[in-house]
Amino acid sequence: MLQYSTRRLIMLLPILFFVLLITFTLGFYGPGDPLTTFFGDDAFMADDPELINRLRRLHGLDRPFWVQFGDYITGYFKGDLGNSIIEKRPVLDMIKAGAPISAQLGLAATIVLVFTGIPLGVLCAVKQNTWVDYWIISFSISLRSIPVFVLAPLLLIILVLKLGVLKKTPIGWEGIFSQKVIIPVLLMAAGPMLGIVRMARSGVLEVIGQNYVRTARAKGMGERMVISKHIVKNSMTPVMTTLGLTMSGLITGALFVELIFGIPGVAGLGIWAFKRRDYPVILATTAMGSFLIIVANLLVDLGYGLLDPRVRYE
Amino acid sequence: MTTEKNDNNEITEDQVTVADEFQAVAQRSLWADAYERLARNKAAMLGLFISGIIMIAALFGPYIKPYDDLEINLFNIAQNPNGDHWLGTDLLGRDVLSRMLMGARTAVFVAVLVSFISNVLGVVLGAMAAYFGKIVDDIIMRVADITFAFPDLLLAAFISSSARRPVIDFADKVREATGWEVLENTVFIDYTMVFGALAIVSWAGVARLIRGQVLSLREQDFIRAEVALGATGWRIIRKHLIPNSIAPVIVSISAGFGGVMLLESSLSFLGLGIQPPGASWGNMVSSNMDKWRAYPLLVAIPGVVLAVAVFGFNFLGDGINDAINPRQIKR
Repeated sequence: MLQYSTRRLIMLLPILFFVLLITFTLGFYGPGDPLTTFFGDDAFMADDPELINRLRRLHGLDRPFWVQFGDYITGYFKGDLGNSIIEKRPVLDMIKAGAPISAQLGLAATIVLVFTGIPLGVLCAVKQNTWVDYWIISFSISLRSIPVFVLAPLLLIILVLKLGVLKKTPIGWEGIFSQKVIIPVLLMAAGPMLGIVRMARSGVLEVIGQNYVRTARAKGMGERMVISKHIVKNSMTPVMTTLGLTMSGLITGALFVELIFGIPGVAGLGIWAFKRRDYPVILATTAMGSFLIIVANLLVDLGYGLLDPRVRYE
Repeated sequence: MTTEKNDNNEITEDQVTVADEFQAVAQRSLWADAYERLARNKAAMLGLFISGIIMIAALFGPYIKPYDDLEINLFNIAQNPNGDHWLGTDLLGRDVLSRMLMGARTAVFVAVLVSFISNVLGVVLGAMAAYFGKIVDDIIMRVADITFAFPDLLLAAFISSSARRPVIDFADKVREATGWEVLENTVFIDYTMVFGALAIVSWAGVARLIRGQVLSLREQDFIRAEVALGATGWRIIRKHLIPNSIAPVIVSISAGFGGVMLLESSLSFLGLGIQPPGASWGNMVSSNMDKWRAYPLLVAIPGVVLAVAVFGFNFLGDGINDAINPRQIKR
């Protein structure tokens, strides 16, 4: 187990390296080098080649690709993510400000996912091929089909304009316990819900025909106890495998939710960086998203062995 | 495998009738069975109906649209739906119905092409990985791992925002050299960018699926039997590997179709996909997003149609999946 974990950790490094290399290359050859973005509308300054060249040398932008990449990657290992071109402050500070907010939203959405997705999936399996099953699955498919940027305005139109339930638009961030958080969190949980429901459903269906379940029933155990003690407990390992996908879905959800509701988290930061071509910030947020997905997948693989002793690592 | 003939020389009369009976059942091919299961699935039929309408809108949109979707009429802005403009007009006075029809074309066009490109890439690379093994397998699968490590929307956004300029420069050079006027059209380049970015993001899943399929097929007894009988590699690929891999490919195309549509509209919503004035449901939502209070319909119409379309394709894809892999539902 320890040997396997170390090997997995070492295998992560090349993937991380290539992720950084790809993001850096895309940034390097992307439109607008940092200086032109920096000057923005002050085009008269950008017209002076002498000045541009001096600035280029000053910031080390005239060096070859690999040298700059080396700088960039060692900076990352030292915790230096560069400076934002637009905001002119360290990217690390910006991420530090946004990360806790995104993390809280993500955690809240995960809790919603676990406490609604798993029970719904179990219900589907227990009532397999009845209308309950069909409706829950159809409902989850529709949640997955409606993009967040459509669901959000539709909800606002219905709640604010038609029903008048909300007095004003829930925009901004006032801590995780304010009411404004409810709609964003539900929207973030909407997309990945289908994966969890499906996995919980098929996990339960796998277990439900096992002999020990029949034995539990045969010895007179109540159906409720059979389901909670024997079926659900033993069927949750496959649900774990969706964690990686869930992470990806939560990140995508967060991108839109934070943009639409003006929440100052990391994902929103990334989207704004895209809109303003702030490459150091784009690089850092993309790398961070990839890092989260890689870690989630690693946790899935390692957690599998802990939850299910039958799994053997070669 | 039910259609395979039994070449046994000594057949008694009794066995003939049994064999005939089996034949009568075996006449129904895998596809007929799948089709029947699909037709019985109400949700999938609803999906088929919706997808059919969207497809028709995409195919015939430019010929049935009542107005020019790019024509700006400032005397006629933000009309509610009425007799002249069935879905009203937007803030530049353009007819919303016409723009929706052109948006359908964008959505379907992108989804069809991206599904095609990413599945061809995925099938070829996945099959190569499984067939050649060793270093080819390692390289292809590691590249797939790296692709999976990115949040797909972020990677697509990054590619389409970064590669746009170089591609436009390249297109300009090609145009100067060859005189192809198509390349002057930036909408054409938008499409190319979106296709490329989305295909790069979505080939890896197909490659993994096909690799797994081919690897497991290779170990099956009927393939071993063929090898033992001296069949050539080409015959095995043509007669066994391809027919047995078609079902998962169809499933992956149909299941991925709605997802690709969603990705395209998401990119366009973020302003990194189809650029205005080109019509995409995603950028129609985003361009009116900040005015949802005053003009809720301008957000709701493209939004609802997009959601219903993706929903229809997802239901159809799900139904096709259940129809082709019946074991999954029986479990």
